[in-house]
Amino acid sequence: MRKTVPVIVAFLSGFVMVVSFFFNPERTFIGGGQEAVLQWVTIVSGFTLVLGVFSIVRVNARAVARRSKGWFYKLLTVVSVFAMAIPAMLPVSKNTVGGKIFFGIFPDNWGTLFGTGPSSIYDWLFTYVDQPMMETMFAMLAFFIASAAYRAFRARNAEATLLLLTAVLVMLWRVPMGEAFLRLFSDSFPQYINMFVMNGFNVAVQRGIIIGAALGAASMSLRIMLGIERTYMGKG
Amino acid sequence: MDFWHRIMNIDRRWIYLLIAISVTFPMIVVMKFPVRVTPETRQLYDAINNLPDGSVVMLTFDYYPNAAAETEPMSVAALRHMFKKNMKVVTLSNIPLGGPTIAERITREIAAEYHKVYGVDYVNLGYKANYNAVMHGLANSIESIFPSDYTNTPLKDLPLMDSVRNYNDIKFIFVVADNATVDYWIQIVNAQYGVPVGAGVTAVVAPKMYSFVDAGQMTGMLGGMKGAAEYEKLVGHEGKAMRGMDAQSLAHLMIILLVIVGNIGFFVTRKKDSEKS
Amino acid sequence: MKKRLIASVLRIFILALFLIGIFSATAFGQTVEDPIFRINRLTVLVFMIIFSSAVLLYTTWARKGKKLFVRKIPGIDAVEEAVGRATEMGKPVLFIPGISDIDEIETIAGLSILGRVAKITARYDTPLSVPVRYPMILAAGQEVVEQSYIEVGKHDAYNSEIVKYVAGEQFAFTATVNGWMMRERPAANIYMGAFFAESLLLAESGNASGAIQIAGTARPEQLPFFIAACDYTLMGEELYAASSYLSREPLLLGGIKGQDFVKVIIIVAILLGVVLSSFGIGSWFVDLFRVP
Repeated sequence: MRKTVPVIVAFLSGFVMVVSFFFNPERTFIGGGQEAVLQWVTIVSGFTLVLGVFSIVRVNARAVARRSKGWFYKLLTVVSVFAMAIPAMLPVSKNTVGGKIFFGIFPDNWGTLFGTGPSSIYDWLFTYVDQPMMETMFAMLAFFIASAAYRAFRARNAEATLLLLTAVLVMLWRVPMGEAFLRLFSDSFPQYINMFVMNGFNVAVQRGIIIGAALGAASMSLRIMLGIERTYMGKG
Repeated sequence: MDFWHRIMNIDRRWIYLLIAISVTFPMIVVMKFPVRVTPETRQLYDAINNLPDGSVVMLTFDYYPNAAAETEPMSVAALRHMFKKNMKVVTLSNIPLGGPTIAERITREIAAEYHKVYGVDYVNLGYKANYNAVMHGLANSIESIFPSDYTNTPLKDLPLMDSVRNYNDIKFIFVVADNATVDYWIQIVNAQYGVPVGAGVTAVVAPKMYSFVDAGQMTGMLGGMKGAAEYEKLVGHEGKAMRGMDAQSLAHLMIILLVIVGNIGFFVTRKKDSEKS
Repeated sequence: MKKRLIASVLRIFILALFLIGIFSATAFGQTVEDPIFRINRLTVLVFMIIFSSAVLLYTTWARKGKKLFVRKIPGIDAVEEAVGRATEMGKPVLFIPGISDIDEIETIAGLSILGRVAKITARYDTPLSVPVRYPMILAAGQEVVEQSYIEVGKHDAYNSEIVKYVAGEQFAFTATVNGWMMRERPAANIYMGAFFAESLLLAESGNASGAIQIAGTARPEQLPFFIAACDYTLMGEELYAASSYLSREPLLLGGIKGQDFVKVIIIVAILLGVVLSSFGIGSWFVDLFRVP
């Protein structure tokens, strides 16, 4: 039962998605199957958010209670989860759900602090705490790319040399200063890089990888649908 | 250890320092090199420009805040272009973290410059989970997926949405993304429902998108901050992307220099090591 | 055996009944303007049938004992070597099954590989750490790892903290994992699944920590970063083949062979299209592959 039911559900879900692609949803019930399955997926995904919050609170709260290594940062994690979530969920006015009771206790002008609109606590925390942190992490990529390029771009053999030269040309072409430098050699040089490198070799290679990956994904999907591949089920 | 061996084993923090200097130097010394427009950017610009004034277009904010340096200038330039042509703009996001908030901030800011009215000239639908369901659902009815907009106003109370029911009423979809969402817009919306799609993507994603542009599945593309700068030039409004080109230029040149030095070091040390052995 | 046969027969019977019912209904109800069956998507149906038949045929042959050759994939061969290195050094193995949710096929491929890797680490008593980004992956990952430990007879060694829910945000996840890598210095880092901008951050930090790194993703835009920073990289479909390759199960290898057969058909179609288009008579052929 524990092994069979998930396989049947996987098969039926996949089957409905595939078959409904070929049928008119306005004239057959099976044509609308795709939309129905997707709506179910949306509903189920919503419940997993609850699982995530529960998990993060459980793990970190346990570490805080035991005063294990780095417990203060774990406490900050739990506090941060609720600091953003709770104000976002509170009513913004008397007309919203629970608003009459809430604003019977608290002043009306507190409404702008709640929800996810502009000048709310959620918006402030996102714009001035979350967003700068995310942008900083992303900005680190510039440094990491430089150190990775310095270490990895070596003309060890003919193919590596070709790769290196192409990379240098594309890096020059992609910035105005570099493009101006390339135009010193020929006015059409940047155009040729676009035509032959980006729209030539690059497109060919990308298509090869995309087609291969798509076939691999289709094969894996078929194996999952037919119950041949079951490792992802774990204790199934 | 001789000079070249030390260069080959250099602490990576020196490299980080050089990159930091090359990025901050243009803040002191402004160099302006001309930005030339690539055919892909021109194609996207022309696609929007050739639409009749007053057409309804969709602009998506499918990027996380961390990529905003590259993608936000694209969104801003696109909005300016659309508002200049008096187009009706419907925005949405498939990214829960930040997408709708950024959309709200940017659209309100740019709309105010062009005296556009919310609900009449533009609407922000916000975010709904499961991009697959969203993209398929919008084909039947926008209201079935987004019964209300980002500010929880029912769509029936927004005059613009009276005439925008589904994809049939949308002339073009301008996707601004930093991830695979643009693939789904092409595979689902363009391939299955025939709506023209153009995209502004980060420089990392751009090489993959050339195949879609080449196949005609995508109408034009903006690649990275350079693409955004090109679009700003075409729209005639210099923004953050144009100003960021100097820093990006120097950073690229610094990386090229480091690669050259690294390779010189590689050959010199290889020769010395083979002579020793 | 009997149960499997009954299940297969039941599946085919339901499918046949369904198709007969649908096609009969469409035959009566079909009009050109508003068709029941989307005849303009027939090419996709034909291709799907060819693809499914190829995969099932090779799977059947594999089940009957036919030897199927699959070329060596160095990255996958290196997994056992990497775990062995970690065991010798007494350091943990870090495995990241991508940072997408379970609705991405790459994540399922990553979880399948996790199952195989967990068996190896269980066998060698090597500590394993699996940080995840989504709660569904947490639940699935815990089940997969526990099952692997059970199959190797090391259930006592299993600990639910092996798979940890770290953070829901991409860079919060990356920062946590990077910090853990620099403190714990794992001997082997295995990245298998869907990755985005954090791929280089993870790989460079792993490189700085001195770990041997094996990566696999089907995202073409992230492959250059992994290739530059990792010791071995599985590209595109090699990720999907990895689970089958590691298990060496004939049924799974049959799936890989089937997809390779279809790839040959695609290559022939591309070459044919190029030749026909070069002579200006290829438009009918190209139109066959348009999906309205």
